[in-house]
Amino acid sequence: MHNVIEVKNISRTYGQKELKVDAVKNVSLTIKKGEFTAIAGPSGSGKTTLLNLISGLDIPTKGSIFLAGKKISLMSGNELSDFRRDHIGLIFQSFNLIPVLTAAENIEYILLLQKTVKKKCKKQVSSILKVVGLETMGNRFPAQLSGGQQQRVAVARAIVSNPDIILADEPTANLDSATGSDLLDMMKDLNEKEGKTFLFSTHDKMIMERAKRLIILQDGEVVSDEITD
Amino acid sequence: MLILKLGIRNIFRNKAKMILAVIAVSIGLFSLICLDALVNGISKSMIKNAINTFSGSAQIHAKNFRDDFEIEKFINQLDRVKYNLRSEKKIKSFTLRTQSFCMLSSPQNVESVMLYGIKPETEKNISLIDNAVIKGKYLNSKKSDKILIGEKLSKLLKVDVNDKIVVTLSQAHTGDLCQELFRVGGIFRLNIREMDSKIAFITLAKSQQILNIGTNVHEIVLKTKQLNNKNTFPANFQAKYSSYNNEALTWKDLIPGIETAIKVSRFSTYIMGLLLFAIVAVVVTNTIFMSLYERMYEFGILRAVGTRSIQMAQIILTETAILCAAGILLGLLLGISVCYIFSIIGISYGTMELGGVTLIEPIYPAISIKKLIIYPIWIFIFTIAAAIFPAIQAARLSPVEAMKKKDR
Repeated sequence: MHNVIEVKNISRTYGQKELKVDAVKNVSLTIKKGEFTAIAGPSGSGKTTLLNLISGLDIPTKGSIFLAGKKISLMSGNELSDFRRDHIGLIFQSFNLIPVLTAAENIEYILLLQKTVKKKCKKQVSSILKVVGLETMGNRFPAQLSGGQQQRVAVARAIVSNPDIILADEPTANLDSATGSDLLDMMKDLNEKEGKTFLFSTHDKMIMERAKRLIILQDGEVVSDEITD
Repeated sequence: MLILKLGIRNIFRNKAKMILAVIAVSIGLFSLICLDALVNGISKSMIKNAINTFSGSAQIHAKNFRDDFEIEKFINQLDRVKYNLRSEKKIKSFTLRTQSFCMLSSPQNVESVMLYGIKPETEKNISLIDNAVIKGKYLNSKKSDKILIGEKLSKLLKVDVNDKIVVTLSQAHTGDLCQELFRVGGIFRLNIREMDSKIAFITLAKSQQILNIGTNVHEIVLKTKQLNNKNTFPANFQAKYSSYNNEALTWKDLIPGIETAIKVSRFSTYIMGLLLFAIVAVVVTNTIFMSLYERMYEFGILRAVGTRSIQMAQIILTETAILCAAGILLGLLLGISVCYIFSIIGISYGTMELGGVTLIEPIYPAISIKKLIIYPIWIFIFTIAAAIFPAIQAARLSPVEAMKKKDR
């Protein structure tokens, strides 16, 4: 399996002088295609910062990140936008759907950003809604969906463009355990059946138990990295 | 297309703010349309009043006659000028006048006035003197001993209809003084102070006789078929009738105050327009900024999932354009409706003096089709220009920073 992500000695520091905080310190790691990896650790350990750095949402103070063979720290703002659009699927803790767009339109938005032909978009959206078990809910607005259903739409939005990796920041944090478990089963299925690569940041035991690899962060540093399968 | 859809749906998320912005744009445009229509109406009314009351569309005199009103400066080649005027298709009618200073004496008082000799039949087609008679009768060519005076002058001289007045004037060529007895045939009221107190009319033939000028005249006053546009006057009118040592003057030369007053009014409209547009732009920018800050987290998500900077700016500009378009439609609808109603019923100011012209009739606002196109384009450009700043803010958003500002 080839490397999807290569993180080399990255650090991220916020603030200056006495207020300086090292959110991530000299982290190096590699994620291979098809992995189902969780980065765990207590609050403030730097999980979300690391995910933001990997996704190009934030820029490391030091070190370099290679995603799909490209060094993202050298990219401009628009290049990063295009890169995220084409290579990264993002799932957030709070579902983060666009409230004025329906479930189907939220998914379609990514395809339209990629300038996919409208007819093809409809077909892809319909098929992805089926994958996440929401084939009848496409016309509903986020407010008309339950938390679990919204997060499924978020998963569908993240995978619709067939990205190299899906980065999920505490995706089950706002869900009850049964719904969270269902969602994880669905993502696990996508990983096993379709070979999608997932990288989670979490402190949810359910995710840690299902992860094939568990990286523990503490005070911004990797303290453990082990295969759990 | 999706950006348009996003724009429309986002606007309807906060109806109160949307209504406020739409109302701001529509009131701005409505006010400007009404102001412009009113200024147009006043301008037209000023020109109409100036032309119809007494001055006519244009006048022909001997060169420099108006400098000193020298009674020996007659119109040269009168028959040829009259012949030419009759052949002009754009000229509706014309009349001849004599003009001289004189003293009017009544048993109680003496006043210095301008005495006009007029042809009552043709004067009717040019001025409003016949309609302004409030007492007695308008002049009749067959009754040459009658004099028509203004209401204020009648009060100054303390005379009424049929009372006697002696006209004293200096005759042409000899300079001898001539005195002639007239009876007041009628009293007029034009509601123009100068005219009601400082002029008097007798018949043309009588005036020619007492001035000792034969069949000569001092003034030809003409009225064109069209009030005021590019085709009002015949081609080369002024050059053509300024020959034979005469001079042709249009209403713009005769009453220069009108054009100045119109220019000042138009300039004021533009200044007012700029102020209105600036206010509208501030209100719309404020609404857009509020909307941007309220949806900061959402914009962060859009950025995070791959929306480019330019597309972020497009979202803001699209929303602004939709709000502005709705406001423009409403503003046009209101502006056209209100102006249309007042263009029929008119706005009565009573009697108002402006640019040397007394407006007697109500003012009828006149909408300019050109302005109905220009003003909405202006307001659209202003509003979009005002939205560029928030659009740049949206384009420069850092997804991480934006997503930190979660307020849902």
